[in-house]
Amino acid sequence: MIENFVIWLGDELAQAGSSLLDASKRVSVFYLFAGLVFAWLVLTLRYGVQGWTRLKPYLSWRIWWHRSARTDYQLWLANRLLLAILIPKGLTQAIWISWLYFFWQEQGFSDLQLGWPTALVMGLFTLCYFLVDDFSRFIVHWAMHKSPWLWAFHQVHHSAKVLTPFTVFRTHPVEGLLFFLRSMAAQSLVISLFLVAFPNQVSLWQIFGVLVTTFVFNVLGANLRHSGVALSYGPRLEKWLISPAQHQVHHSVARQHYDRNFGVTLAVWDRLFGSWHVGHDDQRIEYGTHQAIDEMNFLGQWLQPFKDCLTLLKLKASCVGRLLYKTLRQKKRPTQ
Amino acid sequence: MKKSLLAMIVAAGAMQAGATSYEFDVTLKGYQGEATSSVSYSGQIARHALHNSLKKMVSQGDEAAMLQYLSGTEEGRKLLDPVSKDGFAIKQSSIDELSKGKDLLSSAYDGVITGWPGNPTGQELLKQLVELAADSKQGYDPVNGYDYVQLVSKFAMGAVFYNKAVNHYLEEKLEADQHPNNEAYKEGVPYTGKEHVWDEAFGYFGAPAHGLELTAEEVVQITKQNPEYFAKADANGDGVVDLKSEMAFAHAYYAASIDASAGTNYFHTIMQAFVDGRQLIADAKGERLTDEQRTELKGYAATIATAWQQVIAEAAFKYAGSVYSDLEKIAAVEEAHGDVSKSFRNYVKHWGELKGFALALEAAGRDLGKAQANLDRLIGFSPVLFGDAQVVAQNGKGEFVQASAGSMQEYKLNMLKVQNLLAQQFELKAKLEDKTGGMSDVLKQIDAAGKSAEND
Repeated sequence: MIENFVIWLGDELAQAGSSLLDASKRVSVFYLFAGLVFAWLVLTLRYGVQGWTRLKPYLSWRIWWHRSARTDYQLWLANRLLLAILIPKGLTQAIWISWLYFFWQEQGFSDLQLGWPTALVMGLFTLCYFLVDDFSRFIVHWAMHKSPWLWAFHQVHHSAKVLTPFTVFRTHPVEGLLFFLRSMAAQSLVISLFLVAFPNQVSLWQIFGVLVTTFVFNVLGANLRHSGVALSYGPRLEKWLISPAQHQVHHSVARQHYDRNFGVTLAVWDRLFGSWHVGHDDQRIEYGTHQAIDEMNFLGQWLQPFKDCLTLLKLKASCVGRLLYKTLRQKKRPTQ
Repeated sequence: MKKSLLAMIVAAGAMQAGATSYEFDVTLKGYQGEATSSVSYSGQIARHALHNSLKKMVSQGDEAAMLQYLSGTEEGRKLLDPVSKDGFAIKQSSIDELSKGKDLLSSAYDGVITGWPGNPTGQELLKQLVELAADSKQGYDPVNGYDYVQLVSKFAMGAVFYNKAVNHYLEEKLEADQHPNNEAYKEGVPYTGKEHVWDEAFGYFGAPAHGLELTAEEVVQITKQNPEYFAKADANGDGVVDLKSEMAFAHAYYAASIDASAGTNYFHTIMQAFVDGRQLIADAKGERLTDEQRTELKGYAATIATAWQQVIAEAAFKYAGSVYSDLEKIAAVEEAHGDVSKSFRNYVKHWGELKGFALALEAAGRDLGKAQANLDRLIGFSPVLFGDAQVVAQNGKGEFVQASAGSMQEYKLNMLKVQNLLAQQFELKAKLEDKTGGMSDVLKQIDAAGKSAEND
């Protein structure tokens, strides 16, 4: 029993370590390095030799070993272990997709028989897959900020006082579970519809086994968004793509930056929802929530959201209680 | 054109390795006899002939005659299939001409089969199916949805041929202490222990000895005894097809048939591994095989076992697709208030093939893990019948017990899941009659990318 547990623990940790060399993972050394090169090129182009100094936060040992960054690493490993247990094993993508694929056909949707070349179907599928995935990330993220119940969990991610590429893993397991379900629902929807419409022609456009859009996004500095390197894409491009500087605005503690830039890759969703905010290379931003959670270690990060939910519940209960009391009193009065 | 080019490349590869045909000289040291060939697998061909003949008998419903070909060993049994026909003469006309005293049942898998009510052993199930066939209408039971011709044949091929080859000869018999190569297999024979072990596995595959010189389509047509392909079958040009070396049987036929339809290469992969492995043994020139040689030989055995398993899974995949189509047809005929009996008959036939092949996968002692339980559950003990019933058990008298299941149309979803499961578990390539629109390939891409539990 203990032996099995140790083997499982070892396997999971080894797998976590192997993400550092896996081209499908954002924190692989390949993308960490690619981000650095990308930023260096852009900043040198803009500021000449001085551009290099702007990269300091990405290379600073103080940032990478900051207390907040260490909490990121703890949460990365601890969540991995917990999610390995929490994520339902039986609920596989294959089952979702099979069911939806069958369901669409039962509703009368069938092969479109358009005779399109496979390359075109592949391109269209990859585009739709990317759009639905990106929008679903946006909308779930938006909801996590708008609902106090969901914010209780999402605050874990925002409690980071310094940003490193590993801050992407600084999430509460409940949020991890929600995002797992999101990814499954979004992917299943697009895949099942395309399989019905274009049978035997559906596949993703990949580079090195990675979705082409993810690859480009990662190579062009996805890791910079969780770093102290402020890199704007310029106001014109930022209307379409979320820059590292824009995501850093999202992490800002300043009031004027609240609930801004929820998007992951595309900025259009934020423009549609009125939450778009431009970024700037010279922006000065303080990260965190200014709440006690900012200082907590991983266990505190796990527990605080539940405490906050309990407080919310009590608040709701007392509100309801007060309302009930008032209503009853009002009913009593006429008879007196 | 593509296929013949492929065959030429395969044949060229075989030339390099030294052999294009499964023919090997005597290497046994100290052999005094007159034989020049060390190849012998007539017992296995006799069992192929027994299986083919049994399949014919099941559709006639005579239990005693069926048992003759299943478990009998008596002399004088007539060969019922394949038999000579115009333009395609067969050399043998009785089982004895191939080998005497052979039966099918005693070679069948004796482990448990979980996919049938009561968890019988492979041998018990084979016997039970034949008994049930005798009680049915020429092998057809419309009440429970069983086609015994298909169930018996497809399961027997797995439980006897596939099981004996991969679970026995290509497994335990390759160990150093079993039938060593520096000794005769038994006294007086012209072949060594390891030569014969390998030959017996090859015999069970059912390929003609000159299989590497044939295209997949030619192998298929030879099994079908198409007179236009007689010259291709008759390798030695003696005017008759010798079942011992010139005919294609059982899984060799299915491998070729899948390849011919899908452009895959199962038949030649297996055939080449058999020839290469046998060449390795011949090259040892009657000496005991070293550990390195046995490791290499086990590599060929693994290639064979994997591809063989894939062939059976490919066949099950195809028939899961056929069952799906049948259910669509039944719904269409019902909607038009037509006569569904013909569509239902096809449904039962294809289900029998699906179930037979799925049970065959279980019948070789190979651990399929969770996939086995899932296959059992998804396919069930019978097809879903009219009135949404399905066989769920057997009672004390051996009668099938039905209970209400999901609807026939919902059973279609199970077939999609069966296809996905088979494609993923066995890494299938041909995927004939795919009703999932190529889902497993997309799933593979998505799985490789991993699930994302992070946002930004």
